Amino acid sequence: MDNKQTLLSQMAEAVIDMDEDLVEQAANEYVEQGYDALEGITNGLSAGMEKVGHLYEEQEYYIPELLICSEVMYAGMDILKPHLNRDDADGKVKLKAVVGVVEGDTHDIGKNLFKIMLETQGFEVYDLGRDVSPDRFIEKAKAVDANLVGMSTLMTTTMRNMEITIKKLEEEGLREKLVVMVGGGPISYNFAMKIGADGYEAEASKAAETGKELVLKKYSAVMAR
Amino acid sequence: MERNRKIQMTPKERAAAMAKGEGVDRLPCNPNVANGVARVYGCKISDFNTSARTLADAQIASYRKFGYDGVRVFTDLFPWPEAMGAKVICPEDNTADLLEPAIKNEKDIDRLIPLNPYKDGRLPVHLEAMKYLVDEVGDEVGCSAAIIGPFTFACFLLGIDNTLKACIKNPEIVHKLCKIALESSIAYVDAAMAIGLGPTISEPMSSCTVISPRIFRKFSQPYLKQLVDHIKSNGKGVVMHICGQTSGIWQDIADMGVAGFSIDNVASIVECKEKIGSKCRILGNVDPGTIMYMGSKDQVRLETLKGIRDGYDSPMGYTPMSGCSLPIDTPLENIQEMMDTVADVGYPVNIERVNELINDVKKRLA
Repeated sequence: MDNKQTLLSQMAEAVIDMDEDLVEQAANEYVEQGYDALEGITNGLSAGMEKVGHLYEEQEYYIPELLICSEVMYAGMDILKPHLNRDDADGKVKLKAVVGVVEGDTHDIGKNLFKIMLETQGFEVYDLGRDVSPDRFIEKAKAVDANLVGMSTLMTTTMRNMEITIKKLEEEGLREKLVVMVGGGPISYNFAMKIGADGYEAEASKAAETGKELVLKKYSAVMAR
Repeated sequence: MERNRKIQMTPKERAAAMAKGEGVDRLPCNPNVANGVARVYGCKISDFNTSARTLADAQIASYRKFGYDGVRVFTDLFPWPEAMGAKVICPEDNTADLLEPAIKNEKDIDRLIPLNPYKDGRLPVHLEAMKYLVDEVGDEVGCSAAIIGPFTFACFLLGIDNTLKACIKNPEIVHKLCKIALESSIAYVDAAMAIGLGPTISEPMSSCTVISPRIFRKFSQPYLKQLVDHIKSNGKGVVMHICGQTSGIWQDIADMGVAGFSIDNVASIVECKEKIGSKCRILGNVDPGTIMYMGSKDQVRLETLKGIRDGYDSPMGYTPMSGCSLPIDTPLENIQEMMDTVADVGYPVNIERVNELINDVKKRLA
């Protein structure tokens, strides 16, 4: 394995093993060697986080582990990000997501995981936090030109707000341009389809993968027109 | 006074007769109406934050309407951390939510002072409501006081993310938080037991959906067991509820000697019965969102029947219930349907009749 490969797998391992020292050391050396920063993020840090997602699905890791792994990932990102080549993103879809909890309590952990997982998929994520009204989702989606809106809730009473947000996106002429994902305790796939969302997954890591697939699919459909 | 047409015995008469092996009208049933009692009674949920009279009256109104087997003083998960300095958002007509934990930094842990149930936050309102419940319906139905378990309590004191991360990075701080949380929980349950109520414990952050059984055993179980032991030493049984998946810690919970364990809809009644049914009553687990809130009456009926089919022969007993507190706008006819279904099954449960009833609903739903 050459040095670049070694550093990439070190970064991935550091994320999986929750080792902040190792990630900093590997990311700094990677940058010093002049290797490509974007590749460092995707094939190093995000690759590690993807494995973390699988460990979570396999019930090897739980939320505390996930939170720390993501902290380590961000520590690495902070080192690599300033070295990103500006042209990297050109010619590709700029993945931008707006996420928020319609109304939540302790269980807004799901939204936070979704945010982390979206970032590992290459999304720039705007987190509106909790108790987000339909209008705030729409304003933000418009402002940042988002191609994904993610809404979650625990409170069944506010599930209707998801439907209202989707209706308002239609009224604003934004609906066709973006993918709407919904999630959270009381949400099911059937409910998601019923209110006109594009996707639902029970697990945050799968939801982020699906979200990206849906965005790319939508984008290629638009390009084909 | 409005009474449910199918009530033949009071919940206390039912429980007493059942314990003696005498005939009763039906299984006990608790749809777990929570703040939805405001919809039955016709008040705002925020009224519960200041008026003990309204909190008690709403509980009583809902109990009178449906005749379920238990009333409980419970508004949200946060009055206790709030009493220790956490900030809570109290919407006018919705359930309160945690805005800020009591401390934001581990260094501030020494600032935390155990709560005083007679003075702090909304707790005096809760205690006063308990007195009304015991005085006015205590002779016919079991009245209980909700409390959160020490680990969940700890999470609300330092913040959920910080506390979960500290489980790996700074275990000592989590133990310190759990200790002070336990002390506070005990002060509150003592005040409730002095009024005559039995505590129920909600411990959502201990769910296997959040933490591993290994972390549960290290940080949550020891303090939770002390809380259970304390309540039991006062002659009260404990019913515990943990949201989400819990199968990995069922044995631990049963070993604590709880009287009942209430499971969420993602857990299995059959598996739970097989694993711990000989040690405690099982309660659950009709899906509160998809079925109770959004489903039709027939769907409620079907899921209630399936729960009975799966749980009725559990050695220490089974109580049809929803998997978690019901959403506040759950249709009242769905709550009624759960009660009616349990009444239609009757007692003792005849499994063939249950299966017939299941087939009837399935035909209608097909």
